[in-house]
Amino acid sequence: MPDDDHLHRLVYYSRNRIDGPLNEAVRTILAASRRNNAPLAVTGALMFNAGCFAQVLEGDRAVLESTFERIQQDPRHGDVSVLAFEPIAARSFGQWSMGFVGARPDHAAAFADVATASGFDPAVASGDEVLRALHGLALEDEDASA
Amino acid sequence: MPVTALGFDRLAICRFATDRARALFPGREPVGLSATILFADWTTPPAFDRNGIATLRRRADQFLRCDTTRHPDGTWDCVLTDTGQDNGPIVAPPVDDLTGLILRGALRDKLAGVLADARARQTGVAVHAIDLDRFKQINDTLGHAVGDLLLVKVAERLRSTLEPGDHAARLGGDEFLVVQAGVSDRAEAEARAARLTDLIGRTYVVQGHMLNVGASVGVALCPDDATDAVSLLRHADLALYRAKADGRGIARFFEPGMNARMQARQQLEADLRLALARRQFSLAFQPQYCLDAGSVSGFEALLRWTHPERGPISPADFIPLAEEIGLIVGIGEWVLRTACREAVGWPIPASIAVNVSPVQFKTGKLAETVFSVLAQTGLAPGRLELEITEGALLDETNLVLKTLHAVRDIGVRVSMDDFGTGYSSLSYLRRFPFDKIKIDQSFVRGLGDGRDCEAIVRAVASLGASLGMRTTAEGVETPEQLARVRAEGCTEVQGYLTGRPLTAADATTLLLAETGKAKTHA
Repeated sequence: MPDDDHLHRLVYYSRNRIDGPLNEAVRTILAASRRNNAPLAVTGALMFNAGCFAQVLEGDRAVLESTFERIQQDPRHGDVSVLAFEPIAARSFGQWSMGFVGARPDHAAAFADVATASGFDPAVASGDEVLRALHGLALEDEDASA
Repeated sequence: MPVTALGFDRLAICRFATDRARALFPGREPVGLSATILFADWTTPPAFDRNGIATLRRRADQFLRCDTTRHPDGTWDCVLTDTGQDNGPIVAPPVDDLTGLILRGALRDKLAGVLADARARQTGVAVHAIDLDRFKQINDTLGHAVGDLLLVKVAERLRSTLEPGDHAARLGGDEFLVVQAGVSDRAEAEARAARLTDLIGRTYVVQGHMLNVGASVGVALCPDDATDAVSLLRHADLALYRAKADGRGIARFFEPGMNARMQARQQLEADLRLALARRQFSLAFQPQYCLDAGSVSGFEALLRWTHPERGPISPADFIPLAEEIGLIVGIGEWVLRTACREAVGWPIPASIAVNVSPVQFKTGKLAETVFSVLAQTGLAPGRLELEITEGALLDETNLVLKTLHAVRDIGVRVSMDDFGTGYSSLSYLRRFPFDKIKIDQSFVRGLGDGRDCEAIVRAVASLGASLGMRTTAEGVETPEQLARVRAEGCTEVQGYLTGRPLTAADATTLLLAETGKAKTHA
């Protein structure tokens, strides 16, 4: 387990550039992230819709730096804005999870199981200031993509 | 003994070459080519353009000792000695130690292979020359360790864009090159260039720092632009030069006109280098009018260049070039000396304002130059006014402040020019007690169009009054503007209404008329 002295939080927001079915891409991301993040003790939450991704990552600083570098190289998103990268005293998220955030009923229904499978808890999202802000941004971008 | 020497500007474009240096590049004119291109067929160590000695190798038996001096303005020159053997401290490794990318020499071989292959398969090739924007600032502020880690990440991102058959190389400090093979049309190269600028421009997180560097990309296509490696590299470099000039963070494709434009620029530069010696510069003197006294308080010296064939050249065209190539230091000194000499001969002790470029501060010798000019011309220091823009305060602020204090200590006055067009004026006003703030003419022109400009002019005039600084409204052209700036509290005006730039003789005549006016009033 990495040293918690270096515990950092990284928050970013990006535009979804997935070509083709969102469904397939989302499931690939979920599988890869669960495989990669747990052994590295990276926790947090990824919110997505047809317009954007918004993610909070928590973990050891060096681990986050390499995780984020991998994310940056991913062509499935663009216009990445890092909103915060800072040391934190304690984690807000006990695990890594992923959930659909948006108003489109067809997507909400299609991705309900993603949240269940990854343990995404909307209550955690609404309790965290950063996530609340991201949530707002995400809703705006879903409209932009429509 | 004749020397083998080459000089390069800040963008590593060769600006001079001795005859012996030319002989090293048979069939090519080195002046105008970038170091990248010039040394494309030499195995060069990663940092041969830094201060120090390096060994360059072309063939197994041809070694050159390269003794490089890097100047403060970013230009550098190197003296080459043909040693016939490798006795230098550095022999270039086949790959870059830091990033693991191939180096210039290997890249040239790879590119030749890709081009031969493309000919056989009848496909195209794109050469992307990449240069990082703002890398130097990161290196300077956060240190080389962070800069190096950043370069490693940049290299990783470059690698992530490669398709089978492509190559990426590190050519020097923050210069990279990507060879894209199997390009079937221009759109494919455009997509790759866009991917490169986007990907490299994305935020990095390194050692707890969030870093942003942009990438400028210049692209040349085979067979559209050229079919040989040397020309493609050169064209990509020209396109890169354009990308950087057009605002950085963007990609530009080579266009045949770039060669012509570069040549025109080189011609202008060559002419500019001779202009001082050939006495093609002159000064015009624009009156500065004191509103309280109702009389001319002094003049601003304005530089004019009359080209022997092209006639008058706009300062907007040649001053940025003179700054870029460092010539502004010599020209600025000439302006200072000529203006002071002229002012000494005036019938009344009016002030003389001289513009000082940020580049002049970087030499660290500006104060010394001012002292020597004052001593030689005998002008009272209190009559000289240096006008600086906010740009001068952006970099190396402490060095600039030290210079400003040194000249002010002997009585020279200092004005903040073009106020309102930069970013951080207020903090600079706090850090240095300027004698005068000159309100940029765009605000004066906007008076009467809406409320914004009036509010700004009034705010600056009142700010000046509270800080004990005079305020000059620049670009006053109509009686209405004059009435308004007077009403808003400006203390001086300068513009076509109160006086166009004059010849030295006319300036003296105007001052004589002023003395006559004073006598009449008395």
